[in-house]
Amino acid sequence: MTAVTTTPEPQTASAPGPAEASGGRAVHLVRSELLKIRTTNTWWIFLIGVFVATALAATVWIAVGNSQINTAAAGGEEFVPPENASEAELEITRQQSELSQDLTRTLHDASAEIYTSGQFFGLMFALLLGILLITNEFHHQTATTTFLVTPRRTQVVLAKLATAMMGAGFFWAFATLLSVAAGAIFLATKGYGTQLTEWPVLRAILFNALAYGLWGVLGVGLGVLIRSQIGAVLTGTVAYVVGTFLIQQIVFALYFLLDWDWVLDVMVLWPGVASQVMISPEPPYPSSPSWWVGALVLIAYGVGFGVIGTLITRRRDIS
Amino acid sequence: MTDGRIVVSGLTKHYRRVRAVDDLSFEVEPGRVTGFLGPNGAGKTTTLRMLLNLVTPTRGTATIGGRRYADLPEPVREVGAVLEASSAHRGRTGRNHLRVVCAAAGLPTERVDEVLRLVGLTPAAKRKFKGYSMGMRQRLGIAAAMLGDPRVLVLDEPANGSDPEGIRWMRDLLKGLAEQGRTVLVSSHLLSEMQLLADDVVIIAAGKLVTHGPVSKVVDGMADAGQVRVRTPQAEALTAALGDQAQVRKEPDGALLVTGVDAPAVGAAALRAGAELHELVTERPDLERVFLELTAGKEAIR
Repeated sequence: MTAVTTTPEPQTASAPGPAEASGGRAVHLVRSELLKIRTTNTWWIFLIGVFVATALAATVWIAVGNSQINTAAAGGEEFVPPENASEAELEITRQQSELSQDLTRTLHDASAEIYTSGQFFGLMFALLLGILLITNEFHHQTATTTFLVTPRRTQVVLAKLATAMMGAGFFWAFATLLSVAAGAIFLATKGYGTQLTEWPVLRAILFNALAYGLWGVLGVGLGVLIRSQIGAVLTGTVAYVVGTFLIQQIVFALYFLLDWDWVLDVMVLWPGVASQVMISPEPPYPSSPSWWVGALVLIAYGVGFGVIGTLITRRRDIS
Repeated sequence: MTDGRIVVSGLTKHYRRVRAVDDLSFEVEPGRVTGFLGPNGAGKTTTLRMLLNLVTPTRGTATIGGRRYADLPEPVREVGAVLEASSAHRGRTGRNHLRVVCAAAGLPTERVDEVLRLVGLTPAAKRKFKGYSMGMRQRLGIAAAMLGDPRVLVLDEPANGSDPEGIRWMRDLLKGLAEQGRTVLVSSHLLSEMQLLADDVVIIAAGKLVTHGPVSKVVDGMADAGQVRVRTPQAEALTAALGDQAQVRKEPDGALLVTGVDAPAVGAAALRAGAELHELVTERPDLERVFLELTAGKEAIR
């Protein structure tokens, strides 16, 4: 710093204006949180991640959809009972065959998969955004400033939850725009409409938005529970990516080896599975519960993490 | 608007095994700079954080203008605080850091450029925080504290890591703010700096109050520490003339250090003894000596 000696001057000239109504405070806090995101590099790095994930997934789902639609348009696959199959395996094969013979359902299923492309990694970025929103405050010691400006900490956490949902919603809008554009072009080249007016397809897109928002909330909750930035990011990513994969492998192994039906029912309790159940027009796995069960599970996690996060933040000493 | 008086009353904080702050009570008046002194680990930071609702007290209260910090309707407009030099996101520019605070407090964005001018940080406003020197970080912290033009300022070790120029700037700024009638509470362990800056001091050690009051009173209260330095070729004659009341110690360089009597008494004794004086100085105890004497034996590490 060079010789900048500023003599203190009376600041009456531009003293801040009168107090504003407390209703405006929520808007102020969310605006401040959004500004925190916009003034650092994280958001566009994540956006690039969402772009790459969506582009790759859309390519894959368009290829899969292409072959499914071709099969259905040609009359579908005959149901041939596999030899020595268990009751469960028979049921799966029968369902697959039925689906392949129904062009309308196949179109719905393929469009929904394409239009929600990149969901897996998109949700991860929503989760990471939520985590960073809270752990940044401790990592960079800005929690002190934040809670000095707003000593009512519940308001701060609520603003962060709202901001996480908005940021995640932005990722969703970006991914959806991309995949709907690509999917609509693909369907048009095959001579079909966009399917966007069909409820199962529309439902998948809308509930995909809910999934993004809720994963943002889960991130904030996880960030409160694990204050260390690196710790929270690693835990969240590993639990999401590896955890979901492992749980599915274990559950299917138990189901096929031991014939336990109930493991398939409880699998939806894992948030990664719940979001798949919520947005799939066709059951993502045999005897999967209805889509609204997945929605309820995710909402329960969102509310639970939000409440726990708020309670912990209210009590914690900031030093 | 509050009167800006800070009242700390019976404030106590127990951590698992340590009483970080132990039944601490003092008051801080507006229009004056109050130095909050204590050895490292004495509980200064914990006290300030309890005052600002960042740490929950085990017992006791701290109020600003009669209200707890958490109950202030618009804290940023009443209290400005600088607690850590490094409390901004490394990848965010100084100006954007202030915009974030402004937005949360609902203050007009013009305030950002005004406070940047006030602390002389305008040229570096668009640089990222990670490129700031320690002195610039301190200035940014003060800029954030001044956004709401508050009546009360609370600063925790603001001079830490500043260069002499920065320390001088800070001193002028804080004195100026106090002259405007604001309350300025500043913790530090730099005693020579505090002697120049503070009007009042609050000294704590091991979480307990040691003394508080105006600097001059606290220093003079240590009368024992006052001494007269005198230099004379006729040392024995002068010592004899001083009588039993005075204790005389001989310095290695030949000067005599006299305690128990004041300088006029020493001068009069020299005249009676016909001793020739080459030097006669009253050495007032400084804040540092008083502080060390007051906090001696109170372990900083507990």
